[in-house]
Amino acid sequence: MARSYDAIIIGGGHNGLVSAGYLARAGLKTLVLEKRNVLGGAAVTEELFPGFRFSVFSYVVSLLRPEIIRDLQLPSHGLDILPLDGTFTPLRRGDGPSAAGDYLWRVNDHGRTIRELRRWSASDAEAYEEYGQLMVEMARFIKPILAIAPPDPTSNDPRPLVPLAGLARRFQQLPQRQQAVFVQLMTMSASEFLDQWFETDPLKATMAASGIIGTYQGVKSPGTAYVLLHHYMGEIDGAFRAWGIPKGGTGGVSNAIGAAARALGAEIRTEAPVVRVTVRRGRATGVVLESGEEIEASSILSSLDTRLTFLGLLESGTLDPSFEADVRRFKFRGSSGKVNLAVDRLPDFSCLPGEGEHLRGAISFSPSIDEMEQAYDDAKHGRFSRKPYIDMIIPTLVDPSMAPPGKHVISCFVQYAPYKLAPELGTWDDQREAFGDAVIDRIAEFAPNIRDVILHRDVQTPLDIERTTGLSEGNIFQGELSLEQLFFNRPVPGYARFRTPIQDLWLCGSATHPGGGIMGANGRMAAIEVLKSRGRRAA
Amino acid sequence: MAINGYDAIVIGGGHNGLVTAAYLGRAGLRTVVLERRGALGGAAATTVLAPGARVPTLAHTVGRFRPSLVLDLDLKRHGLSLIGPEVRVFAPSPDGEAVVLWSDVARTADGLRAQSAHDADAYVRFDRLVRSLAGFLGELAARTPPDIESPGLGDAVAGLQLGRTFRGLGRSDARTILRVLPMAVADFVAEAFEGDALRAAIAWRGVQYTSMGPWSAGTTAVLLADSAGNDGGAAGQTVFARGGPGALAAALEAAGRAWGVEYRTGAEVATIASHDGRATGVALVGGEELTARVVVAGVDPKRVLTRLVDPVAIGPTLLWRAGNIRTPGTVAKINLVLSGTPRFTAAGSDESLIHGRIVIAPGIDPLERAHDAAKYGQWSDPPVMEATIPSLVDPSLVDGAADGTQVMSVIAQATPYALRDGTWDERRETFGDLVVSTLDAYAPGLAAMVTARQVLTPVDLEREYGLTGGHPMHGEHGLDQFFLWRPMLGQARYRLALEGLYLAGAGSHPGGGVTGQNGQNAAREILSDWKKRRR
Repeated sequence: MARSYDAIIIGGGHNGLVSAGYLARAGLKTLVLEKRNVLGGAAVTEELFPGFRFSVFSYVVSLLRPEIIRDLQLPSHGLDILPLDGTFTPLRRGDGPSAAGDYLWRVNDHGRTIRELRRWSASDAEAYEEYGQLMVEMARFIKPILAIAPPDPTSNDPRPLVPLAGLARRFQQLPQRQQAVFVQLMTMSASEFLDQWFETDPLKATMAASGIIGTYQGVKSPGTAYVLLHHYMGEIDGAFRAWGIPKGGTGGVSNAIGAAARALGAEIRTEAPVVRVTVRRGRATGVVLESGEEIEASSILSSLDTRLTFLGLLESGTLDPSFEADVRRFKFRGSSGKVNLAVDRLPDFSCLPGEGEHLRGAISFSPSIDEMEQAYDDAKHGRFSRKPYIDMIIPTLVDPSMAPPGKHVISCFVQYAPYKLAPELGTWDDQREAFGDAVIDRIAEFAPNIRDVILHRDVQTPLDIERTTGLSEGNIFQGELSLEQLFFNRPVPGYARFRTPIQDLWLCGSATHPGGGIMGANGRMAAIEVLKSRGRRAA
Repeated sequence: MAINGYDAIVIGGGHNGLVTAAYLGRAGLRTVVLERRGALGGAAATTVLAPGARVPTLAHTVGRFRPSLVLDLDLKRHGLSLIGPEVRVFAPSPDGEAVVLWSDVARTADGLRAQSAHDADAYVRFDRLVRSLAGFLGELAARTPPDIESPGLGDAVAGLQLGRTFRGLGRSDARTILRVLPMAVADFVAEAFEGDALRAAIAWRGVQYTSMGPWSAGTTAVLLADSAGNDGGAAGQTVFARGGPGALAAALEAAGRAWGVEYRTGAEVATIASHDGRATGVALVGGEELTARVVVAGVDPKRVLTRLVDPVAIGPTLLWRAGNIRTPGTVAKINLVLSGTPRFTAAGSDESLIHGRIVIAPGIDPLERAHDAAKYGQWSDPPVMEATIPSLVDPSLVDGAADGTQVMSVIAQATPYALRDGTWDERRETFGDLVVSTLDAYAPGLAAMVTARQVLTPVDLEREYGLTGGHPMHGEHGLDQFFLWRPMLGQARYRLALEGLYLAGAGSHPGGGVTGQNGQNAAREILSDWKKRRR
């Protein structure tokens, strides 16, 4: 006799854990099954080298929904987010107004940032204030969308359209200029959107960088402007715009959510890979583990992506062919890699030598729009970028516990590293170290001592991300965040409300609206929909 | 009231301005069209390039022109005659193969079968899908975008009608259109076809006249809009006006004249006069002032708002927004007179294959790489382009020239308005040479046949035709300048900034191309306001 639960969640990533927390909180007997020996999925902390702990994949937090933090009481389960102050864009000799090599350094202290910008352009400094206010207004307007289960616009049932009508009314009440900016955010490229306000190239390139993170798009690709807003939606202790790193790495977030879920009664098993979802007469009734163990449940939630869930876990022939075709059409196209470094000294930037405050925030290797776009051009044609965009963080400067005393860990998020390489390059197994070298070379352009300080290097290609976390094609958002894969089209038109064509099988990961990032909104909304379908309310 | 008071002044005698003027004239408004150049037609013009040889100056086909306009304005009676060759597209590859798209879908599929049975079958389905989706867009194109500020009963009714049309697509196509409109055209064609040459031959229309490559989001919308309201389908239309595109302008002029419309060429508008938020007339270069109760701009909205109107009258915010209308011109035009008919290797001895549009875009990747170059201010080498040899189906174009003479019209893409190195004035002929030598590689001997040549760069399009940024569509066909927000949110209903000022050109919904739709929609709105004021 198989054991039986109210709800099984496949995958112990942050979204799966959030779902588990909410379901357990509503009194459901809930089980989480995680393939790996660590919880967190792509939000994990691991000791890759003795004494050096890394947020191996995902590395910053800003979008984690405040209601989740409240509802699951995450701070009491160990969540502690340390703010990151500022973004430092190093430049090379000849890049900026100062002949010796310059930089652009924006910090949370608004006055200081404005003074810094004025050094570059008086009109940009002025526009920056206006722009910032506008973006905050926009973020306020858009935030509720993140919490709406997307309606099917082709449905004859008007009820799910009600929240959309509310949104339309709020849109109508915006001043026309803001309406226009909203439309631009949804449709324009990050680069062209910013062109309307700014002239300073490194400023535009650094801001635009947030629009391309995790996507197979360039800063000049239409549709990338929207993500600029995310920077203004981050919310830590209510402060708009701040980004932070969790104490103990991003695994700290997962562990806190896991602890909260356990405290609420959920059971969590690691090293318990699910190989099959059992479907009887169109209903999902349970799962089969790799060990052969069978577990039954009345609701099954998959936090895996659509490819793994529908093509990997279901008996072939279970799905309607047209739905299956839609699943196969869904685009992943992982485009980013990660290089984790253990160092015995800090990198020394030629443009601002020494170990100052500038190393304590994000360090953005984004000297110009053209270099950002050329990095994408490489990827488009099947190569990793020769001069990649790198978002570097040195977590040990705010959380020294991550490395032995006096040593540091450095996290480098790198774009672009296309999952599909051009045939002449072979496989990622052939190119892993060449890719790592390209990243180090890029860093050395700005901080030449980097080669001398590295103790260990860990290179994560999109293939490695796929192998370790299961994320198809290494896409960190469980599917490209392109316009046609958002909102009511995510992940499959007609199935954007966490339901699947299989009754009692649900999706709760980043594959659903509103997409990826350590946000938790997907897991929360999915849990609420599951509870609604069971005639219960989220407690 | 000045003695020269008109009911309506139309600035710019391009085809949309002429359409609006004709409708206003028909409704009894005393209307004058003011054209800066010496001839009417704007981008729909014909040029005598050599004695007895006439070429389509800019646009070379007119198949997107709305059939309802031809009927409404009785253009056939006014001399319009259309020629539609059986072949729509001939897309040769460097290896001597070619994709041929016919107006007959089954014939196209038969031809594709030699390369791929899959693509042959898929083509029929794809054509049906494009027609269905484009049919919806065609309905959308004929409508005025709704008023979202203060929607009235009319907007509600229009919304319901549109909702019904949308539902009429059926659930599957309705979902498909919502999914594919913002998609990259490279993905859209890849979902249907496996052949790269076929993909590119179709995707071409998704990037033509834009500064986007096939991997840019929203290029599927451009492709579908190109087939909206005509029988283009997957192949796209290929229709010539007998006597060249200028003949369409001439027919429109004749139609308007019959309703009393006046036309003045060589009349450049310097400013639009306004008083108390109302357009009151125009002042010409040279000082002449004309007054009118309605001022209609056929020219592009960026020019109207940043150059012609009083900045104080529209205020700094709208001025700033207008200054940000995107007009990244990336189109050049090369017109050739040839001493004979070029022989395309891939066409073999079948001359009829080159009666339609000849698309030189051998693959999605070459198309994207062409765009890559343009992004950084370089033209693409080799260029990607669309050519026609209209004299093959319309000998009247060369009836005064030596026997065997043909004219060839080439629209080249990925030619950025601002070059990184040098200026277009310095490099114009170098580019012309590149286009000719590229064509020569596909049709050996072509270069030696060239007896006259004209190269119009994006900078020339701006200088000669007043197209800001050299953009032939009066504004990029991007998702950010579409429907309700073309040219800008709040200005999409053909009423532009000032009371009594209207936009009838390609900068309005549904965008550019020789459709006449903008002019027709604008005329409908102008006359609706006119009647209300009369009451």
